[in-house]
Amino acid sequence: MSLRLENLRLNAGGKPDGRSLIADLSLSMNPGERWVLLGPNGAGKSTLLVALAGLLPPNAGSILLHGKPLAGWPGEALARQRAWCPQFWLDPFPVSAWETVACALFALHPEHSAPAVEALARHWLSEFDVDHLADTDVRMLSGGERQRIALATACAQGAPLLLLDEPSSHLDWSHQALLQERLKRWSADGGTVLTAVHDLNLAWTLATHALLLDGLGGAVHGPRDDVLQADRLSAAFGIPVSMREENDARWFRVALENPL
Amino acid sequence: MGSERSDNPPIKKFLATKRPLANNRRVTRKAANPPYAFVMTLKPPPLPLALLLAAFGVPAALLLGLLSGSAGWGWPSEEILWLIRVPRVLAAFGTGAALALAGALIQLVTRNPLGDPHVLGVTSGASVGALLMLLLAPAGLLLAPELGAVLGALGAMSLVFALAWRSMGRGLAPSAQPGTVIVLLVGVMIGAACSAVVSFMLAMANDLQLRSIVFWLLGDLNGAALWWPVWVAVGLALLLAWPRAQELDWIARGDAWAWTLGVPVAKRRRIAIFAACLATGAAVATAGSIGFVGLVAPHIVRLTGLRHARMLLPFSALFGGVFLVLADTVARTIIAPAQLPVGVISASVGVPLFLMLLLRRRA
Repeated sequence: MSLRLENLRLNAGGKPDGRSLIADLSLSMNPGERWVLLGPNGAGKSTLLVALAGLLPPNAGSILLHGKPLAGWPGEALARQRAWCPQFWLDPFPVSAWETVACALFALHPEHSAPAVEALARHWLSEFDVDHLADTDVRMLSGGERQRIALATACAQGAPLLLLDEPSSHLDWSHQALLQERLKRWSADGGTVLTAVHDLNLAWTLATHALLLDGLGGAVHGPRDDVLQADRLSAAFGIPVSMREENDARWFRVALENPL
Repeated sequence: MGSERSDNPPIKKFLATKRPLANNRRVTRKAANPPYAFVMTLKPPPLPLALLLAAFGVPAALLLGLLSGSAGWGWPSEEILWLIRVPRVLAAFGTGAALALAGALIQLVTRNPLGDPHVLGVTSGASVGALLMLLLAPAGLLLAPELGAVLGALGAMSLVFALAWRSMGRGLAPSAQPGTVIVLLVGVMIGAACSAVVSFMLAMANDLQLRSIVFWLLGDLNGAALWWPVWVAVGLALLLAWPRAQELDWIARGDAWAWTLGVPVAKRRRIAIFAACLATGAAVATAGSIGFVGLVAPHIVRLTGLRHARMLLPFSALFGGVFLVLADTVARTIIAPAQLPVGVISASVGVPLFLMLLLRRRA
């Protein structure tokens, strides 16, 4: 399982005259790697994830999955290779949490019996500590609970490549730690993870590799410690970021010039 | 328990792991919010119950419809039965089923619980089509207004989707918020435009034409000429939409996400819309514009626990049919010997329900 980007160019909204988000990006992601996708708001993190999911054709360059362009993959075969977890969910109709997870299983595993699908769905909910809400209407859940159900859904799909759009944005610390644990195990078992994150400390502990977008077309990528450096982050985010190294760990914080 | 598939090591090993933390504060949610909260508590196997209800309810409603007449209750003479009552009851059932099915499909595809052939302007479009044919088609052209209604429905729906397509996420684009509100507003606008066209035609029509125009506008089964075309339309619509109904559920949960699961979203959406237009057009052709059956029926079916499209579509159709037969029965008897247009009855039930759903959603 490997994903290769070759001279990728992405504009905002995928339009030819859109603002340039990624000018020219080439990299490959391999099994066992956990990539964090960093960048200021509107830098194109979601757009990149959407493009890698196959939903948006790149403006130039190519995205190769197992050496084959994304557009050449039939939908269902692609669904067995990559799972995409969007940032927002809109649930217009009443549906229970386990049924939401079961969608992915029904779609890709018609061979499973209905009870087997339900059991599997409940299992994935328990993996993200939401099995106690399995029979609850998803529209009544808190943001963090809904997010964990979305993560369970993405994992249940069973595709080795996970594309997660800010999966930790609503999670409390304990569930951020749970997410980290799950994603580390996912990659240890041969999966690949690409996740957009805003919390730099979480990003550092989670990642093996990082891709930092500056929102102007530029991108830095590579092993975590090469990319997650104070000067690079400061440049990308436009604020002074200070970094502290302690016991082989890195801690980031905003270096305010005039703290209140 | 675990994944039966051997080609996916991540899952297999993952399944063996134990939850390491975050086990301490788990709050089970019980009826936290009022709207729909009890839907989830309706656990008893709804399907056998629903089948049982349908098995009794449908014949009971049909029988009730057959027994009631402007001259009072009772078994009519054979002539009245076969020439008047049976076609009328069948037309009512078919029309209700068509509208409810169209409503269920439109709600799923636009991901909007307030979707309905009437709200989205399809019914108004069908009225315009029917009236145009009524005024312009040469006399003697068979089923001209009916054909016009189908074409008008298709035209209005295509217009709504063409205008709202961008805001619905340019088909499949990354937009997080599909413009369901925009679709609704565009539909209301199309409906308003169609109403204006109808007013124009009313002003231009002569007295003879006015009578038949009023029939189309009020929604009345009194003049239903043929009962079977709408049944054919319902059958076709179900045939088109039902086999992949499950995928409509996934689209309702997120169209881009459904696409990543391998669902050909654009195709499913087009088929569902076509089916909805076919059903709506046939319904308007049979009985004029009857509102709110399409909105109300799917919601009531959902409230019984039949939430999945596979169940929702056929049972909405059944419920809509029963609903309109009963509404028509009331319409025929409530001020007998005069008759009310059935649209009056369906709207007087549908409008309060629509408002209730709308206002509770914001609560």
